[in-house]
Amino acid sequence: MSNLTKTLIVLLTISSIFLCGIVVTYVANADNYRQKYNSLRSERDALSAEKDSLTNQLNESIRQKDELEKSLNKQMASLRTTADELQAKLNNIEREKAELLERVNSWASITKDFSDTTEKQTQTLNAALEEVKQLKTEQIKLSQELEQTSTTLVEKMAIIDSLQAEKRRLIEEKSDLETRLDQLLQAGGKVAMVSPPVTQEKALAMPVRPLTEPIALKSVVTEVDVKNSLATVSTGSADGVKEGMRFHVTRGDEFICDILIIDVDTEKAVGVLELVQQPPKVGDNASTNL
Amino acid sequence: MSPNGQIRATKLVPGSNLYTIILALAFAVVLATAAFVAYKCYFDYGTLFEIP
Repeated sequence: MSNLTKTLIVLLTISSIFLCGIVVTYVANADNYRQKYNSLRSERDALSAEKDSLTNQLNESIRQKDELEKSLNKQMASLRTTADELQAKLNNIEREKAELLERVNSWASITKDFSDTTEKQTQTLNAALEEVKQLKTEQIKLSQELEQTSTTLVEKMAIIDSLQAEKRRLIEEKSDLETRLDQLLQAGGKVAMVSPPVTQEKALAMPVRPLTEPIALKSVVTEVDVKNSLATVSTGSADGVKEGMRFHVTRGDEFICDILIIDVDTEKAVGVLELVQQPPKVGDNASTNL
Repeated sequence: MSPNGQIRATKLVPGSNLYTIILALAFAVVLATAAFVAYKCYFDYGTLFEIP
Protein backbone atom coordinates (compact mmCIF):
# COMPACT_ATOMS: atom_id res chain seq x y z
CA MET A 1 0.00 0.00 0.00
CA SER A 2 1.46 3.17 -1.08
CA ASN A 3 1.72 6.20 1.11
CA LEU A 4 -0.69 8.05 -1.09
CA THR A 5 -3.31 5.41 -0.48
CA LYS A 6 -2.74 5.60 3.20
CA THR A 7 -2.96 9.34 3.16
CA LEU A 8 -6.21 9.23 1.20
CA ILE A 9 -7.66 6.68 3.63
CA VAL A 10 -6.86 8.88 6.56
CA LEU A 11 -8.19 11.97 4.82
CA LEU A 12 -11.34 10.14 3.77
CA THR A 13 -11.92 8.93 7.30
CA ILE A 14 -11.33 12.35 8.81
CA SER A 15 -13.53 14.07 6.27
CA SER A 16 -16.25 11.42 6.70
CA ILE A 17 -16.22 11.87 10.47
CA PHE A 18 -16.23 15.62 10.09
CA LEU A 19 -19.04 15.68 7.54
CA CYS A 20 -21.06 13.08 9.47
CA GLY A 21 -20.62 15.15 12.63
CA ILE A 22 -21.90 18.21 10.80
CA VAL A 23 -24.87 16.25 9.40
CA VAL A 24 -25.70 14.76 12.77
CA THR A 25 -25.44 18.13 14.47
CA TYR A 26 -27.62 19.76 11.84
CA VAL A 27 -30.25 17.03 11.90
CA ALA A 28 -30.26 16.91 15.67
CA ASN A 29 -30.76 20.68 15.89
CA ALA A 30 -33.14 21.00 12.95
CA ASP A 31 -36.68 22.18 13.69
CA ASN A 32 -39.56 19.76 13.52
CA TYR A 33 -41.47 21.51 10.80
CA ARG A 34 -44.23 18.94 10.83
CA GLN A 35 -44.90 19.55 14.46
CA LYS A 36 -44.79 23.26 13.86
CA TYR A 37 -47.11 22.82 10.92
CA ASN A 38 -49.54 20.79 12.97
CA SER A 39 -49.48 23.25 15.81
CA LEU A 40 -49.93 26.17 13.45
CA ARG A 41 -52.76 24.41 11.67
CA SER A 42 -54.48 23.58 14.93
CA GLU A 43 -53.96 27.17 16.01
CA ARG A 44 -55.38 28.36 12.69
CA ASP A 45 -58.36 26.07 13.10
CA ALA A 46 -58.90 27.35 16.60
CA LEU A 47 -58.58 30.92 15.38
CA SER A 48 -60.96 30.21 12.55
CA ALA A 49 -63.47 28.72 14.97
CA GLU A 50 -62.97 31.68 17.25
CA LYS A 51 -63.44 34.00 14.30
CA ASP A 52 -66.69 32.24 13.41
CA SER A 53 -67.92 32.49 16.98
CA LEU A 54 -66.85 36.12 17.16
CA THR A 55 -68.58 36.77 13.85
CA ASN A 56 -71.70 35.17 15.22
CA GLN A 57 -71.37 37.21 18.39
CA LEU A 58 -70.81 40.32 16.29
CA ASN A 59 -73.91 39.61 14.23
CA GLU A 60 -75.86 38.98 17.41
CA SER A 61 -74.47 42.15 18.91
CA ILE A 62 -75.38 44.09 15.76
CA ARG A 63 -78.90 42.66 15.88
CA GLN A 64 -79.22 43.51 19.56
CA LYS A 65 -77.77 46.94 18.83
CA ASP A 66 -80.37 47.50 16.10
CA GLU A 67 -83.17 46.39 18.40
CA LEU A 68 -81.79 48.53 21.20
CA GLU A 69 -81.45 51.46 18.82
CA LYS A 70 -85.06 51.05 17.72
CA SER A 71 -86.28 50.86 21.30
CA LEU A 72 -84.09 53.81 22.26
CA ASN A 73 -85.42 55.79 19.30
CA LYS A 74 -88.95 55.06 20.49
CA GLN A 75 -88.00 56.05 24.03
CA MET A 76 -86.31 59.20 22.72
CA ALA A 77 -89.43 60.12 20.77
CA SER A 78 -91.62 59.56 23.80
CA LEU A 79 -89.15 61.43 25.99
CA ARG A 80 -89.07 64.31 23.50
CA THR A 81 -92.85 64.45 23.65
CA THR A 82 -92.71 64.34 27.44
CA ALA A 83 -90.00 67.01 27.43
CA ASP A 84 -92.14 69.23 25.21
CA GLU A 85 -95.10 68.76 27.53
CA LEU A 86 -92.92 69.43 30.55
CA GLN A 87 -91.50 72.54 28.85
CA ALA A 88 -95.02 73.78 28.22
CA LYS A 89 -95.93 73.05 31.83
CA LEU A 90 -92.75 74.78 32.95
CA ASN A 91 -93.65 77.84 30.90
CA ASN A 92 -97.13 77.86 32.40
CA ILE A 93 -95.70 77.45 35.88
CA GLU A 94 -93.20 80.25 35.29
CA ARG A 95 -95.99 82.50 34.06
CA GLU A 96 -98.09 81.61 37.10
CA LYS A 97 -95.04 82.17 39.28
CA ALA A 98 -94.58 85.64 37.79
CA GLU A 99 -98.24 86.41 38.38
CA LEU A 100 -98.03 85.10 41.93
CA LEU A 101 -94.89 87.14 42.56
CA GLU A 102 -96.70 90.18 41.26
CA ARG A 103 -99.61 89.44 43.54
CA VAL A 104 -97.23 88.82 46.42
CA ASN A 105 -95.59 92.16 45.79
CA SER A 106 -98.95 93.89 45.63
CA TRP A 107 -100.06 92.10 48.78
CA ALA A 108 -96.79 93.04 50.43
CA SER A 109 -97.34 96.69 49.59
CA ILE A 110 -100.96 96.42 50.75
CA THR A 111 -99.81 94.73 53.94
CA LYS A 112 -97.21 97.42 54.47
CA ASP A 113 -99.81 100.12 53.96
CA PHE A 114 -102.15 98.24 56.26
CA SER A 115 -99.40 97.97 58.86
CA ASP A 116 -98.70 101.68 58.59
CA THR A 117 -102.39 102.44 58.85
CA THR A 118 -102.69 100.07 61.80
CA GLU A 119 -99.74 101.73 63.48
CA LYS A 120 -101.24 105.16 62.93
CA GLN A 121 -104.60 103.95 64.17
CA THR A 122 -102.89 102.40 67.17
CA GLN A 123 -101.23 105.70 67.92
CA THR A 124 -104.56 107.47 67.44
CA LEU A 125 -106.24 104.87 69.66
CA ASN A 126 -103.61 105.34 72.34
CA ALA A 127 -104.07 109.08 72.15
CA ALA A 128 -107.85 108.62 72.30
CA LEU A 129 -107.51 106.29 75.28
CA GLU A 130 -105.30 108.84 76.99
CA GLU A 131 -107.88 111.48 76.23
CA VAL A 132 -110.63 109.19 77.54
CA LYS A 133 -108.65 108.75 80.74
CA GLN A 134 -108.33 112.49 81.09
CA LEU A 135 -112.03 112.88 80.33
CA LYS A 136 -112.89 110.24 82.92
CA THR A 137 -110.76 112.07 85.45
CA GLU A 138 -112.50 115.30 84.57
CA GLN A 139 -115.85 113.48 84.67
CA ILE A 140 -115.07 112.23 88.16
CA LYS A 141 -114.13 115.72 89.22
CA LEU A 142 -117.29 117.11 87.62
CA SER A 143 -119.36 114.38 89.25
CA GLN A 144 -117.94 115.33 92.62
CA GLU A 145 -118.63 118.99 91.92
CA LEU A 146 -122.13 118.04 90.74
CA GLU A 147 -122.75 116.14 93.91
CA GLN A 148 -121.57 119.09 95.98
CA THR A 149 -123.69 121.43 93.90
CA SER A 150 -126.69 119.11 94.23
CA THR A 151 -126.22 119.01 97.97
CA THR A 152 -125.97 122.78 98.09
CA LEU A 153 -129.00 123.04 95.82
CA VAL A 154 -131.03 120.77 98.04
CA GLU A 155 -130.04 122.83 101.06
CA LYS A 156 -130.95 126.03 99.27
CA MET A 157 -134.23 124.53 98.09
CA ALA A 158 -135.01 123.69 101.67
CA ILE A 159 -134.21 127.29 102.64
CA ILE A 160 -136.35 128.54 99.77
CA ASP A 161 -139.25 126.33 100.90
CA SER A 162 -138.98 127.64 104.42
CA LEU A 163 -138.76 131.22 103.11
CA GLN A 164 -141.76 130.66 100.87
CA ALA A 165 -143.71 129.29 103.88
CA GLU A 166 -142.64 132.37 105.85
CA LYS A 167 -143.69 134.53 102.93
CA ARG A 168 -147.11 132.90 102.73
CA ARG A 169 -147.54 133.29 106.46
CA LEU A 170 -146.59 136.98 106.21
CA ILE A 171 -148.96 137.47 103.29
CA GLU A 172 -151.75 135.87 105.32
CA GLU A 173 -150.93 138.09 108.28
CA LYS A 174 -150.81 141.08 105.89
CA SER A 175 -154.21 140.30 104.42
CA ASP A 176 -155.61 139.76 107.90
CA LEU A 177 -154.21 143.10 109.07
CA GLU A 178 -155.52 144.80 105.91
CA THR A 179 -158.95 143.31 106.54
CA ARG A 180 -158.96 144.57 110.12
CA LEU A 181 -157.66 147.98 109.06
CA ASP A 182 -160.34 148.25 106.40
CA GLN A 183 -163.02 147.37 108.89
CA LEU A 184 -161.72 150.01 111.33
CA LEU A 185 -161.34 152.65 108.64
CA GLN A 186 -164.67 151.87 106.89
CA ALA A 187 -166.36 152.86 110.10
CA GLY A 188 -164.79 156.31 109.77
CA GLY A 189 -165.43 156.45 106.02
CA LYS A 190 -161.80 156.11 105.06
CA VAL A 191 -159.77 153.67 103.07
CA ALA A 192 -156.15 152.73 103.67
CA MET A 193 -153.66 153.86 101.00
CA VAL A 194 -151.46 151.28 99.41
CA SER A 195 -147.88 152.40 99.72
CA PRO A 196 -145.17 150.89 97.54
CA PRO A 197 -142.87 148.49 99.33
CA VAL A 198 -139.50 149.73 100.34
CA THR A 199 -137.75 146.64 98.96
CA GLN A 200 -138.06 146.45 95.19
CA GLU A 201 -139.20 143.18 93.67
CA LYS A 202 -136.46 141.46 91.75
CA ALA A 203 -137.06 140.26 88.23
CA LEU A 204 -136.41 136.64 87.20
CA ALA A 205 -132.83 135.86 86.29
CA MET A 206 -132.35 135.30 82.52
CA PRO A 207 -129.37 133.47 80.92
CA VAL A 208 -126.85 135.76 79.30
CA ARG A 209 -126.55 135.40 75.54
CA PRO A 210 -123.18 134.00 74.42
CA LEU A 211 -120.70 136.44 72.90
CA THR A 212 -119.93 134.21 69.91
CA GLU A 213 -122.04 131.99 67.72
CA PRO A 214 -120.72 129.14 65.53
CA ILE A 215 -121.13 129.62 61.81
CA ALA A 216 -121.89 125.93 61.30
CA LEU A 217 -121.42 125.78 57.55
CA LYS A 218 -121.48 122.27 56.14
CA SER A 219 -120.08 121.41 52.74
CA VAL A 220 -118.60 118.59 50.64
CA VAL A 221 -115.22 118.31 48.96
CA THR A 222 -115.82 118.43 45.19
CA GLU A 223 -112.30 118.61 43.76
CA VAL A 224 -108.85 117.69 45.07
CA ASP A 225 -105.44 118.70 43.68
CA VAL A 226 -102.95 116.88 45.89
CA LYS A 227 -99.89 118.05 43.92
CA ASN A 228 -100.67 121.70 44.58
CA SER A 229 -102.32 121.03 47.97
CA LEU A 230 -105.60 122.59 46.81
CA ALA A 231 -109.21 121.51 47.27
CA THR A 232 -112.63 122.83 46.33
CA VAL A 233 -115.74 122.75 48.54
CA SER A 234 -119.35 122.89 47.39
CA THR A 235 -120.34 126.09 49.23
CA GLY A 236 -119.55 129.60 48.15
CA SER A 237 -120.29 133.22 48.94
CA ALA A 238 -124.02 132.55 48.54
CA ASP A 239 -123.83 130.37 51.63
CA GLY A 240 -121.74 132.86 53.57
CA VAL A 241 -118.27 131.53 52.88
CA LYS A 242 -115.55 134.15 53.08
CA GLU A 243 -111.81 134.15 52.45
CA GLY A 244 -109.79 133.05 55.43
CA MET A 245 -112.46 130.65 56.70
CA ARG A 246 -111.20 127.23 57.73
CA PHE A 247 -113.10 124.05 56.85
CA HIS A 248 -112.40 120.82 58.74
CA VAL A 249 -112.50 117.79 56.42
CA THR A 250 -113.69 114.51 57.99
CA ARG A 251 -114.48 111.05 56.71
CA GLY A 252 -116.81 109.35 59.11
CA ASP A 253 -115.26 109.86 62.55
CA GLU A 254 -111.78 110.34 61.10
CA PHE A 255 -110.13 113.74 60.75
CA ILE A 256 -108.55 114.17 57.31
CA CYS A 257 -107.24 117.75 57.00
CA ASP A 258 -108.10 121.46 57.11
CA ILE A 259 -108.91 123.68 54.13
CA LEU A 260 -108.01 127.36 54.43
CA ILE A 261 -110.22 129.26 51.95
CA ILE A 262 -108.25 131.55 49.65
CA ASP A 263 -110.72 132.13 46.80
CA VAL A 264 -114.52 132.28 46.98
CA ASP A 265 -116.98 131.92 44.13
CA THR A 266 -120.77 132.05 44.27
CA GLU A 267 -121.35 128.32 44.51
CA LYS A 268 -117.90 127.05 45.48
CA ALA A 269 -114.71 128.00 47.24
CA VAL A 270 -111.07 126.99 46.81
CA GLY A 271 -108.66 126.53 49.69
CA VAL A 272 -105.22 125.29 50.66
CA LEU A 273 -104.79 121.97 52.44
CA GLU A 274 -103.37 122.13 55.97
CA LEU A 275 -102.71 119.59 58.72
CA VAL A 276 -103.03 116.79 56.20
CA GLN A 277 -103.41 113.43 57.96
CA GLN A 278 -104.57 111.62 54.86
CA PRO A 279 -105.11 112.83 51.30
CA PRO A 280 -108.72 114.06 51.01
CA LYS A 281 -111.10 112.52 48.49
CA VAL A 282 -114.07 113.81 46.60
CA GLY A 283 -117.16 113.38 48.76
CA ASP A 284 -115.49 113.94 52.12
CA ASN A 285 -117.46 116.11 54.56
CA ALA A 286 -116.17 119.63 55.20
CA SER A 287 -117.55 121.84 57.92
CA THR A 288 -116.47 124.93 59.78
CA ASN A 289 -117.16 123.32 63.16
CA LEU A 290 -116.32 119.81 64.28
CA MET B 1 4.24 -12.09 -24.79
CA SER B 2 5.21 -11.54 -21.36
CA PRO B 3 8.78 -11.39 -20.71
CA ASN B 4 8.26 -13.67 -17.81
CA GLY B 5 6.06 -15.85 -19.83
CA GLN B 6 4.10 -16.93 -16.82
CA ILE B 7 0.92 -15.89 -15.06
CA ARG B 8 1.28 -16.22 -11.45
CA ALA B 9 -1.60 -16.35 -9.01
CA THR B 10 -1.46 -13.59 -6.44
CA LYS B 11 -2.88 -13.54 -2.98
CA LEU B 12 -4.51 -10.39 -1.70
CA VAL B 13 -2.91 -9.36 1.45
CA PRO B 14 -4.01 -6.23 3.24
CA GLY B 15 -1.35 -3.67 3.38
CA SER B 16 -2.12 -2.84 6.94
CA ASN B 17 -4.85 -3.83 9.37
CA LEU B 18 -4.66 -0.34 10.84
CA TYR B 19 -5.91 1.32 7.68
CA THR B 20 -8.53 -1.34 7.31
CA ILE B 21 -9.81 -0.50 10.75
CA ILE B 22 -9.75 3.20 9.87
CA LEU B 23 -11.78 2.53 6.73
CA ALA B 24 -14.21 0.42 8.72
CA LEU B 25 -14.55 3.20 11.26
CA ALA B 26 -15.25 5.68 8.47
CA PHE B 27 -17.85 3.38 6.99
CA ALA B 28 -19.45 2.85 10.38
CA VAL B 29 -19.61 6.54 11.02
CA VAL B 30 -21.25 7.17 7.64
CA LEU B 31 -23.65 4.32 8.21
CA ALA B 32 -24.59 5.55 11.70
CA THR B 33 -25.13 9.03 10.36
CA ALA B 34 -27.40 7.70 7.61
CA ALA B 35 -29.34 5.65 10.14
CA PHE B 36 -29.70 8.63 12.44
CA VAL B 37 -30.93 10.85 9.62
CA ALA B 38 -33.35 8.15 8.49
CA TYR B 39 -34.61 7.76 12.03
CA LYS B 40 -35.17 11.49 12.45
CA CYS B 41 -36.87 11.79 9.05
CA TYR B 42 -39.15 8.89 9.68
CA PHE B 43 -40.22 9.83 13.17
CA ASP B 44 -40.50 13.57 12.48
CA TYR B 45 -42.17 13.52 9.07
CA GLY B 46 -43.41 9.87 8.73
CA THR B 47 -41.53 9.25 5.52
CA LEU B 48 -38.00 8.94 4.34
CA PHE B 49 -37.98 10.48 0.89
CA GLU B 50 -41.25 12.39 0.32
CA ILE B 51 -42.22 15.80 1.40
CA PRO B 52 -45.30 15.42 3.50
